[in-house]
Amino acid sequence: MKPAPKLSSAFLEPAGQKLPSPLLELRRQRGTALVDMPLPTRKTENWKYSSRYLKLDDTLAGSLTSTGKAGTDLAVEGYHAVFRNGVMVPEASKLPDVDGIDIRRFADLSDSEATKLAERLDNTLDSNAVQLARLNSARFEDGLLIQLKPEAVLDKPLFIVCETDASTSGSAYPRIYLDAGHHSQITVVEEYTSTGEQSAMVNAVTEFTLAEGAQVTSVRLSSDGQNVQHIGATGARLGGNSRFESHAVCFGGPLRRHDLQVRLEQPGAECKLNGVVVTQGKQHYDNHTTIEHVAPHCNSEETYRNIAADQSHAIFNGRIHIHPDAQKSNANMSNKNLLLSTGAEIDTKPELEIYADDVKCAHGATIGQLDEDAIFYLVSRGISRREATTLLSMAFINELIEQIPVASVKEASQGRLNHFIEQTFVEG
Amino acid sequence: MANTDKQVNELIKREYEHGFVTDIEADTFEPGLNEDVIRRLSAVKGEPEFMLEWRLKAYRRWLEMDEPEWAHVHYPKVDYQNISYYSAPKRPEDMPQSLDEVDPELLRTYEKLGIPLHERAALAGVAVDAVFDSVSVATTFKEPLAKAGVIFCSISEAVHEHPELVKKYLGSVVPIGDNFFACLNAATFSDGTFVYIPKGVRCPMELSTYFRINAANTGQFERTLIIAEEGSYVSYLEGCTAPMRDENQLHAAVVELVALDDAQIKYSTVQNWYPGDENGIGGIYNFVTKRGAAIGKNSKISWTQVETGSAITWKYPSCILRGENSVGEFYSVALTNNYQQADTGTKMIHLGKNTSSTIISKGISAGHSSNAYRGLVKFGPGAEGARNFTQCDSLLIGDRSAAHTFPYIENKNKNSIVEHEATTSKVSDEQMFLCRQRGIDPEQAVSMIVNGFCKEVFKELPMEFAVEAGKLLEVSLEGSVG
Repeated sequence: MKPAPKLSSAFLEPAGQKLPSPLLELRRQRGTALVDMPLPTRKTENWKYSSRYLKLDDTLAGSLTSTGKAGTDLAVEGYHAVFRNGVMVPEASKLPDVDGIDIRRFADLSDSEATKLAERLDNTLDSNAVQLARLNSARFEDGLLIQLKPEAVLDKPLFIVCETDASTSGSAYPRIYLDAGHHSQITVVEEYTSTGEQSAMVNAVTEFTLAEGAQVTSVRLSSDGQNVQHIGATGARLGGNSRFESHAVCFGGPLRRHDLQVRLEQPGAECKLNGVVVTQGKQHYDNHTTIEHVAPHCNSEETYRNIAADQSHAIFNGRIHIHPDAQKSNANMSNKNLLLSTGAEIDTKPELEIYADDVKCAHGATIGQLDEDAIFYLVSRGISRREATTLLSMAFINELIEQIPVASVKEASQGRLNHFIEQTFVEG
Repeated sequence: MANTDKQVNELIKREYEHGFVTDIEADTFEPGLNEDVIRRLSAVKGEPEFMLEWRLKAYRRWLEMDEPEWAHVHYPKVDYQNISYYSAPKRPEDMPQSLDEVDPELLRTYEKLGIPLHERAALAGVAVDAVFDSVSVATTFKEPLAKAGVIFCSISEAVHEHPELVKKYLGSVVPIGDNFFACLNAATFSDGTFVYIPKGVRCPMELSTYFRINAANTGQFERTLIIAEEGSYVSYLEGCTAPMRDENQLHAAVVELVALDDAQIKYSTVQNWYPGDENGIGGIYNFVTKRGAAIGKNSKISWTQVETGSAITWKYPSCILRGENSVGEFYSVALTNNYQQADTGTKMIHLGKNTSSTIISKGISAGHSSNAYRGLVKFGPGAEGARNFTQCDSLLIGDRSAAHTFPYIENKNKNSIVEHEATTSKVSDEQMFLCRQRGIDPEQAVSMIVNGFCKEVFKELPMEFAVEAGKLLEVSLEGSVG
């Protein structure tokens, strides 16, 4: 057996230095831990289906340098922070000026603030499960720290636009840390886009901590270009009676990987995780989610829908872990998939790991096709087959899109998905 | 509740009623495994050269393999050099030809088990190839089977008398290098059962092997091979009990099923090996590879299992559905109590057109036990119109028990449908209240509820097994309510 490939040392070369020293020190430590890190292979359980898509050659090791101006086609309706290649662009951003809400880039933090942050970075994520996202902690060059004082409410959503300018080869490491004080409320929209044609990697880590009664809604749109690998990790730790909602709209690419880890740490916490994934051509998307029910009386609800066409590959791995003593837990997971062509592949693994008896847990997974009878019904009423299939496919995912609480994002997502699905049915 | 607790405690203390050791002189190898041991084993059994070669090939392969660690079970490492690889009742030269000739000691053993061989055979009309330790000691009902052309014998016998069939099919479903335990089995298997159903024959009776592990430290490596020719049908029963031992005993069996065109194989298991005591000391390690290949068109392979025993179970009866319209089924009840650990499930590999499979798995975990369902449903690109339905439910009894579900679903065909659902819950207070309110004691109530939970699987078992299974479940669950 040949030895597993290791992370090239080129990825551990020092990156940009414009950060407060405690963060630079943290980065250095995290980097040291990654020396000789074995890269995932087919034998690595949580990369079983994706390792063959992963390319980590030295051309990606450098930081990206920006030349032009990238842009989002989202109608940004609230506040926004724009990152280009992982570094914030203050002049393109508009941050809220609201009492109790403090939003700053990492580069602007004082040493004492940075020390506090350094202690907390990575503590929402299980580093064994997110091997490659650890690279972010060793490489990030900037980031956004969002702090909500108790009972602070942000009136409009905060858009965080992470643009990647791939006019040269390299990687970007966007980083977000959000700390929601008790009973505070915020909606965050993360959008990942790219310009340029060179091969590039985005390795993004977002962390949320929710104190008692906090409510955080996260919307994550991944629409990087087809030359960009995307590896992302999102972690959330929930205090008592807090609520975390996540809506992911995922478009496939050469390698798309997102790990979402939610820990329900105090009684009464609840989370809702929704995801829509569409892949076509030779695209790939791999979603791994983990919900840890650590405390009793917590609820979780998870719904993911995948549509895979052509020779694309969609993967869903959802894990619900009920710890001992997490009695009265309620957990529901549903994963439905549409497999539209032979040649495409869908792999799903909805896992339950349960160590407490007084719980209600259920998961369901299906893989199937559009109902021929339903298509026939529409066609017999004069709707073209192409339109009918688009309509039905949209219906399959729209239920989840409808739940996105930001109107502009909802509409934009519907438009993009509709366009995507129409493209997929070339034969009409 | 105090009264209930007392009852419960009494029941918890109840010991494994099949725990005893039969004092029979056994012809046993020294512990250890190397090429010489394999040569000796092969020589003792008087095997032809091709078998020895096969075993050695497997052994060499095994040396390069690592013990799998992915299963959700924890146990101290097995020292494979501390196991004796052969144990046979003495006097192989005067092996009994009928029940009357069987060593009375042996018969008493079966009687203690509550299932007297002759009675069982006569009453149930079952031919029994009883495997006591490693060598088949009694084979009954051979004649009516022979009349039908059915070959039902020990695999050692088959190696001599039907080498062409053995050569053709042995290892064809579970290749020697398939996995660590299967490979060990291929190198060291001591005996097992061979069944061949000729073309168009419906086997006139249900075939059964009743085997138990006896002499201390003797790993038992069974090998079963069942071949159903075109248009034939066979139902095979396997049931096990083992005597009480403090030291863990290893069992690494391999079962291979081959179903040709229009053939049907129904394989049922009731497994009740020693699970260890209430502190998790002792018990059997059960690392089994079972696989059926539905090669032929319209063939069908059905696995039904009731697993209540063993300290550790690692077992995934699988179906490779290669033939067009072939059908695979898996019905399972796995119950764990005290410190038992089970990681069991199935694999359904759909390769052929219009293949379909059904998986019904019921896991019950009580005490401190851990019970995992691990399954794979895979649709290859050629599996046009294939269909799978999976349901795996877990029932938890007691707040220290654990239940897990790890289903892998891989689909590469757009004209196929797979559905999977799983639930986990406990025996609800409402259900208990309803029963108790009607004067049913808690112990019985749980038993009733659990039996109801498992009904879907029990109805798949042959009648005599269904009775045994229900009883087993009751015994295994006693002491877990409170």
